[in-house]
Formats: sequence, structure tokens, C-alpha cells
Amino acid sequence: MKTYKIVVLGDFGVGKTSLIRRYVLDEFSEAYRATIGVHIYKHLDSLEGDDLEVSLVVWDIEGAPLPGEQTRRYIVGASGAVIVGDLTRDDPFPAMWQAADMFEEALPGRPLCLALNKSDIASVKSPETVKRMARRYDCSVFETSARTGDAVNTMFRALARSILSLGL
Amino acid sequence: MDLQPDLLTATLGIVVIRLDDDLTVTEVHGEIDDLAPGHDIRETMPVLYGLEEALAGPDVDIAMPLIQTGRNNDEPVSLHIRRDPETGGLWLFRRDVSEESAIHRQLVQNHNSLSLAQAELVKARDAAREADRTKTAFLANVSHELRTPLHVIIGGASILSKTGERRPDPSEVVEYATDIHESGILLLQLVDDLIDLSRSETGDLTLYEESCDLCTIVAGIVSLCRDLPEARGTRIDSDIPDERVGLTGDARRLKQVLLNLISNALKAVNGLAEAKVTVTVDPDGPRLIVADNGAGMTAEDLAIARQPFGQPRAAVRAKGAGLGLAIVHRLVALHGGDLVIETAPNEGLTAIVTFDPARARPAS
Repeated sequence: MKTYKIVVLGDFGVGKTSLIRRYVLDEFSEAYRATIGVHIYKHLDSLEGDDLEVSLVVWDIEGAPLPGEQTRRYIVGASGAVIVGDLTRDDPFPAMWQAADMFEEALPGRPLCLALNKSDIASVKSPETVKRMARRYDCSVFETSARTGDAVNTMFRALARSILSLGL
Repeated sequence: MDLQPDLLTATLGIVVIRLDDDLTVTEVHGEIDDLAPGHDIRETMPVLYGLEEALAGPDVDIAMPLIQTGRNNDEPVSLHIRRDPETGGLWLFRRDVSEESAIHRQLVQNHNSLSLAQAELVKARDAAREADRTKTAFLANVSHELRTPLHVIIGGASILSKTGERRPDPSEVVEYATDIHESGILLLQLVDDLIDLSRSETGDLTLYEESCDLCTIVAGIVSLCRDLPEARGTRIDSDIPDERVGLTGDARRLKQVLLNLISNALKAVNGLAEAKVTVTVDPDGPRLIVADNGAGMTAEDLAIARQPFGQPRAAVRAKGAGLGLAIVHRLVALHGGDLVIETAPNEGLTAIVTFDPARARPAS
């Protein structure tokens, strides 16, 4: 079975690690512990309805408002990306645009999805921007909560389906 | 490349691994768990999945300075993969960077925590500034609303106190006394509203709950409103079920809600049209609907009207301090209800109060 690399990108403190740990380990911690460098998670998942198994290696990449040169190196070979923003922030989108632009520039045509995280405590303040981003990157948007698990598995599985459908 | 793997391992503790092009391990220099010649390196180092294409090139030189590996992501290592230009083989150098990563972690953790705390402080500062601005605007509005009737009272009383030739004639006395009386009532209403608003802000507005009948409340208030001077020329209809609509609530406050909504409707139609009060029992809960066919308002004006002292620019300037809707909103919320307002310019306004179905009960 082929294993696909997925990178999770976004500003620090937006919940990238929490989303991954919810997906892979089904756990959540309130404590903030910064990710340094890259954390690697290997996960075997079943895609419901498709009767398919998919092997993923999820890269949890150190967060930054502007993705740096090291992040560009880390995304090499990725089949897809999750771009994470924090709904509790006044404007979570600039960092999301930056990350999505960088991914698309480095790996054109590879699927990505947008995770608007912490949906259990905040809601989307700028739906127009979300629509614009979804159109710009031709991607799905998920309002996720790592705390409750809302839309987390759905999002990773949707991304996995997109990767498989492209035959990557 | 004059590579001496065993020397690197012995002196720097670097694990050196030689790989085939299909990423099979051919040599291991140094100690590493679960890895031996013949293994697929990706099974031990899943970080290499996805890099197959990049590793197939002739000039491979990939550096990953800090990768957390291990079952709990607690084994920080740096990886460096290079292709030996002479033999064409791939060499992977794995170095334990626990010490550097501990320092790096502390720096990043401190930086990120400080940045997040700073963002929270900025939010709190902005909220405090906004609260201060609101308070200042509130005081200015209160002052303005107090001054107008006070001027009428002071001016009227001054004229009434004159003697001799400047004494007002009997018809003027009645007129000034009436103005003073109306201004006094306006002031009392304003003070009552302010007290309600203040108590609702501090959570001290208490409901005296009992079993009420919405139909009785509506019938009484509609009858009262028909006799109001500002209702002259306006038809106020009501549509209420034959059966009682029981609700657990504070009857006095529910009457206040209805009175404020009808009063707003009367100001909107300005004696030219009609207002209608309806009571329904829906699955979502009992509903109280007050509709008028007046001027209506834009969404922007509605947002202003919802605020204390909010006076929509496009609305007809009428009596009142602009506290009514804000108080209605709070009283409805205290009853576990929801206030929805549907309006558009020249299409009237409909205020829909939906009460929590749990509050619905047979009225006694």
C-alpha cells in the first residue's frame, strides 16, 4: 500500500498539533506545547463508503505567521496539505493565505483543504474571505474543533480521497 | 567522497546508514533500534515517505535539521541525506539533537507564549477602550435626554411662579402645568428604563415568575395602547387563540416587553397606518408577534436601534430615549426567549419573540 505525505501548515498556536493528535490518537490536551521542527505521525485510516484503506504520514510543521525557507524544504514530496487558521483570532486569514500560496507554488495541482479551527468557541467572522479562499484554491473548508473532534476526521479523510482521486 | 562512517559514529555519535536507490538499508554504522540491512528505511523513518522522487535524483542533498521521531515524538534528530558522487549510493546521517532541541523548544515556547499573551492583551485593551467609549457616549446620551425635559420643567415652573402683570393667564397655566407633568413622566420613565438597563447589565434584574396567560396580557396591553394619545388614527389589531397560552414568566415584565414593542410600532407608523399583535403556539415555543406597516428600516439602522440610546438615522425622530428595544432584548433573554426583527425600508417591521418551549405550560 502506498503511503502519502500530508503536511499541516499554519501560524503557531492555531491548533495544528491538536488536530493531528485528535485524528491520529483521538486525544486532546488544553495545554499549549509549541512544536519545534517537525513531528511525524504515521496513520492507517479507512475511508468509509469507499471500502479503502489509506496510509498517511502526517507532518506537523512548526508554526509561523510567514512560512520560511525551512518550511519550503519540509513540504517537498507532500501529496496534500491542511492549512489551519484559528477562528478566535481577529484575522486568521493572512497566515492562511501565505501558507496556501507557498504550498500551491511549490506543489501545483496538489490538493489542500482549509481548517478553521476552534469552532467550538468561535465562529467565522468573515464568510466572504472564506469563500474567496475556497474559490482561489479550489478546496474544501472545514470548521473544525480539535477539542470536540468536530469535522476533524471528515477533513483528513476528504483530503485523502482527493489525493487518491488524483492518482498521486 | 572520502567517507569514514565508523569514525563519524565513534567521534560524533552520528548514525550513518547506506541505502539502495529503492531505499533499502545496505549498511548501518552506529546503534539504532529496529533497523538492519535489508529493511525499508521508511518503515523506521516514515519521514522519508513522499521523498522518493527527490531521493532519486543525481544530486541529492537534503537536510532536515530537527525531526521529532519515536512513538511519542520525543526523539529529536537531524537527518541529512546525500548521494555519494563516486559510488552513486545514498548516505543518510542521523544525529541526536536532544540538547539543541531542548534549548530551541524553550525559545520557541517562550516566544509563542509571549506572542499569544500579547495578542490577548491587545484584545483586552481594545475591549476596554471600546467599553470606555461606550460609557462616555452613554453618559452624553443620558445627559442629553435628562436636559430636555428638565428645561421644560424649569422654564415652565419659572413662568408659573411669576406674579403681577407677568403672571400667565389661566389657559397658559394649564398648558405649562401639562408640559411640566408630561416632562416629569418622561423623566420618570427614563430613570426607570435606566435602572432596568443597569440591573440587566449587572445581572441584578430579577424576574418574579409565575404562571401567566399570554392572551390575557396581550388583550390588556392592546386595549391600553388603543387609548394612548399617540395611537390616535392608528388601528391596533390583535389575533390571539381562543385557548389560553400559558407561560412561566414575569407578567409585569412581559407587559413591559409588549408595551415597548407596540410603542415602537406606533412611533413607526406615526398615526398613519396599523399595527397588529399576534400570539401563536409553535413547536419552537409560544410566540408573540408585533407587526406594523410603517417605514421599516435598513439592517444598519436596526443594528443602531438595538443599542441603548440607539436612534436610527432614517427613522422618524420620536419621543423616547432609544432604550426600549435594548430593554426588550434583555427581558426576552431573561425569559429564555429569542427576539428576531424582520424589517426593510418601506416594508414595515415585525418583531417576533419566541419563548423557550420549556416555559410553555397550561395557564392557571
